[in-house]
Amino acid sequence: MAKIGVFICHCGENIASKVDCNKLATSIGEHPGVAVALDYKYFCSDPGQERLKKAIKENNLTGVVVAACSPMMHEATFRKACAEAGLNPYLCEIANIREQCSWVHTDYDMATQKAMEITRSMVEKVKRNNKLQPIEVPVTRRALVIGGGIAGIQAALDIANAGQQVVLVEREPSLGGHMAQLSETFPTLDCSQCIMTPRMVEASQHPNIRLLTYAEIESVDGYIGNFQVRIRMKARYVDMSTCTGCGDCITKCPTKKISSEFDCGMGKRTAIYTPFAQSVPNIPVIDKASCTYFKNGKCKVCMKSCELNSINFDMQDEFIDLDFGAIVVATGFQVQDNSVYGEYGYGKYKDVINGLQFERLASASGPTSGKILRPSDGKEPENIVFIQCAGSRDCSKGVRYCSKICCMYTAKHSMLYAHKVHGGIAQIFYMDIRAAGKGYDEFTRRAIEEDKAAYFRGRVSKVWQENGKLMVRGVDTLLGKPVVIAADMVVLATAMVPQPDAKDFAKTIGIGYDEYGFFNEAHLKLRPVESSTAGVFLAGACQSPKDIPDSVAQASASASKVLALFSKDKLEREPVVASNNETTCAGCWGCVLACPYNAIEKKDILDRSGKVIKRVASVNPGLCQGCGTCVTFCRSNSLDLAGFTEKQIFAEVMAL
Amino acid sequence: MTIQEKYKARVKELLSTGAVKMVIGYKPGSTAERRRPLFMRSPEEADQLVLDTACIANLAGYLVAEGLLSDDKRVGIFLKPDGIRSINILAAEAQLNIDQIVVLGFDIDGQEVNALEGESAGDFSALIESIKDHAPEAPRNPLIEQIEQMNPIQRFDFWQTEFSRCIKCYACRQACPMCYCRRCIVDSNQPQWINTSSHTLGNLEWNIIRAFHLSGRCVGCGNCDRACPVNIPLRLINARMGQEVLGAFDHFAGMSETQEPVLASFKKDDSETFIL
Ligand SMILES: Cc1cc2nc3c(=O)[nH]c(=O)nc-3n(C[C@H](O)[C@H](O)[C@H](O)COP(=O)(O)OP(=O)(O)OC[C@H]3O[C@@H](n4cnc5c(N)ncnc54)[C@H](O)[C@@H]3O)c2cc1C
Ligand code: SF4
Ligand code: SF4
Ligand code: SF4
Ligand code: SF4
Repeated sequence: MAKIGVFICHCGENIASKVDCNKLATSIGEHPGVAVALDYKYFCSDPGQERLKKAIKENNLTGVVVAACSPMMHEATFRKACAEAGLNPYLCEIANIREQCSWVHTDYDMATQKAMEITRSMVEKVKRNNKLQPIEVPVTRRALVIGGGIAGIQAALDIANAGQQVVLVEREPSLGGHMAQLSETFPTLDCSQCIMTPRMVEASQHPNIRLLTYAEIESVDGYIGNFQVRIRMKARYVDMSTCTGCGDCITKCPTKKISSEFDCGMGKRTAIYTPFAQSVPNIPVIDKASCTYFKNGKCKVCMKSCELNSINFDMQDEFIDLDFGAIVVATGFQVQDNSVYGEYGYGKYKDVINGLQFERLASASGPTSGKILRPSDGKEPENIVFIQCAGSRDCSKGVRYCSKICCMYTAKHSMLYAHKVHGGIAQIFYMDIRAAGKGYDEFTRRAIEEDKAAYFRGRVSKVWQENGKLMVRGVDTLLGKPVVIAADMVVLATAMVPQPDAKDFAKTIGIGYDEYGFFNEAHLKLRPVESSTAGVFLAGACQSPKDIPDSVAQASASASKVLALFSKDKLEREPVVASNNETTCAGCWGCVLACPYNAIEKKDILDRSGKVIKRVASVNPGLCQGCGTCVTFCRSNSLDLAGFTEKQIFAEVMAL
Repeated sequence: MTIQEKYKARVKELLSTGAVKMVIGYKPGSTAERRRPLFMRSPEEADQLVLDTACIANLAGYLVAEGLLSDDKRVGIFLKPDGIRSINILAAEAQLNIDQIVVLGFDIDGQEVNALEGESAGDFSALIESIKDHAPEAPRNPLIEQIEQMNPIQRFDFWQTEFSRCIKCYACRQACPMCYCRRCIVDSNQPQWINTSSHTLGNLEWNIIRAFHLSGRCVGCGNCDRACPVNIPLRLINARMGQEVLGAFDHFAGMSETQEPVLASFKKDDSETFIL
């Protein structure tokens, strides 16, 4: 005989103001199988939970329905309370009479009636609930960190320093990401390279970190604790085991006029190259698309120059298959292509550059050795106009969001310019100055007060060339006047956008992304470093525009999540998984194809002599995420989902 | 030589050389317009073979009879283009191995029966492609036009009235080559989603579920509505689902044996973001 307890929560006034909780308790108390029905102000509170536990014990309850808020809120709370009272937690269900009833209705009587129906339907379900046990899965204690920018490096170091194994995969020839390209960093103006390079070296030399550069993720299978990943090692054409990084090949390479990606087109590189002098690993790669030998079949100068015989033109891409327990995605961002802003003349006038290009100019290791020189004629600019929000907060051409860092780096640029070019005038067009962050407002104030940056609140409508000057027409909204400035150089504070391949990459890993391609966190406020896929965590600017402190903080947070995962021998998972009736299964493989987690396998049913008599679908409970897709697909009704069985759902529906 | 004689000779040849263990064809039925399935295991049995304009039934469903193909031997079968599409779907849904099937293809054009070129399912892909391209052909059946004119309420009433006559004999299911499940959802009683008694509501549940299960799979052969003892125009509802699926997913059932079932497959580049 079912003995169900129903616990109706007032949620203060949240439910009680629209639902007659007392009446609900009385009438549900009369429903067949209900042994006890109580209402209380806050069942989630300590005394509330005590009442529930007491009722379970006193009445020997076989099931519990808590009529309260959404199961998203407190299902875990109440299931835990049931377990403490000796009831299998999966015999506890939540009837959502807040979000789905009191919050959305105004009529007291009708809302009470609806709450009754919802609760009754859950009582009928619970009568058919089964005791379930969490599923235990083993954990592979090795983490995969994808992306070797500051976020990826930080996450890898934190995990490795805690004694766990890490594989750090970076698709470029060197670690570093964008931070390696920066000159000095706000809000302290310390040299980016000086704080970054030691981290890169530490990561590459750490005994617990296996560094794979010039490598990409080919495929990801499996699930939390047990991912199987295939990594493509792109052919470098240089043998990493023998090359010492002497650089003779680079000096000799005759193909020298290739625009350097690292210098954002402000400098040149050779066909065999390392992106920058401090590259980690300091081992060159051959850019096949530019190499004269690959193009014409003649050259091999580098090969001849290499005393160690490290160059091998026949090298092929190779694949490495590894198992991982957790994945940290730290693939970073890109700057938006400014050519969408034709009116700013980017791409048309050489002296209109973006923020990242300015970083390269200002960087001591950059193409001008840190001197601010105009790209067109190499002269020192007497004034520079900076245009903020070039792409950000612009619904028409750019992106709707605020890129969060441009206010700060523009202030930084104006200061660097003032420090490097005495008498240089920085004029900045802005929409708002957003300087929320430790030491950030002080920093922008310093730019204005000490380094005399002139701020104009308004947008720029056009940039054109006249008598060797860049004419910038904008508006100063505070004075209500149009302004035209003749500038020597213009710097656009370009929006931060996702990597161009972010959406495809997300599909390879199996995580969600927003309309732009930034990866989705599981909960914007409460689970900002988890992705919606268990065991995959996010770090850095791949999730949303971020500065270095935020990227590092999120990376360390991801690392702590990974370490928490690795602190267990086995993982417990919700036992909400599908299972198949092998007798009725028709072996159509519809479910196999439909399952988004590849959790369904084909299984041979053999007779005693070992002959296959039929083939049926078989769900791997370790892989199944309980989404229910297969259940809805199966025409023969062979699949069922634990915790949401057809019998339960049917009873729920019929009780309405 | 008539096409019937030509094919009879081919069947005898296939059976006597042992190229196939059986050929499924047609023989005379109880009336002049009716044909019955003929299962030929020896050349002599082929003498009864009939191939004429009355051979309209889709025989594909017989291929999935329990055990028929499990010995890996080949079986010949007379199929019109709709039947060839059926075996492609059956192969795509892992119900048969297409290499075991020798297709004796024919088509009925008014009062004429024509042989189709080829003997394995793949040989007919160009033909099926051309049928797809002309698929939403002008409705020839006056009833279709009538139904198309109705508004949704009238249409629902129309089908409700039609289905109310259903006696739940499941002849439609037995006749349909796509209804191969070992246990049909109507036979599942824990819980009983579909009421077994033949009242209007239960009938609606049954017929609508069947239409859903056939969407993207029905080839419009008409086996179901010919089997229906109360003459419900079942094919029309399934054909309509086929049109919807074609419009929404560009999926024409039975194009090839590797075609992914439309409702079970998804594309990674789907514009909907819920697809991970
Ligand atoms: C002009 C400019 C100035 C800035 N100045 C400052 C400043 O002064 N102070 C500050 O705090 N912040 C500054 N920032 C922000 C700072 O650059 C970022 O916060 C930081 O770089 C984010 O680090 P990340 O590791 O998340 O991403 P990234 O630096 O972009 O690193 C991502 C890495 O992942 C790799 N990757 C990408 N996709 C894949 C893949 N599929 N497989 C393998 N590897 C992949 C990339 O090659 C890259 O190495 C500035 C940004 C810009 C644009
Ligand atoms: S950070 Fe500042 S400049 Fe950048 S988009 Fe936001 S408001 Fe504009
Ligand atoms: S969908 Fe159903 S019948 Fe088809 S293979 Fe899966 S469980 Fe079996
Ligand atoms: S419920 Fe079914 S479709 Fe969903 S993950 Fe599990 S096996 Fe796959
Ligand atoms: S054949 Fe006709 S009467 Fe029989 S179950 Fe099908 S629709 Fe109903």
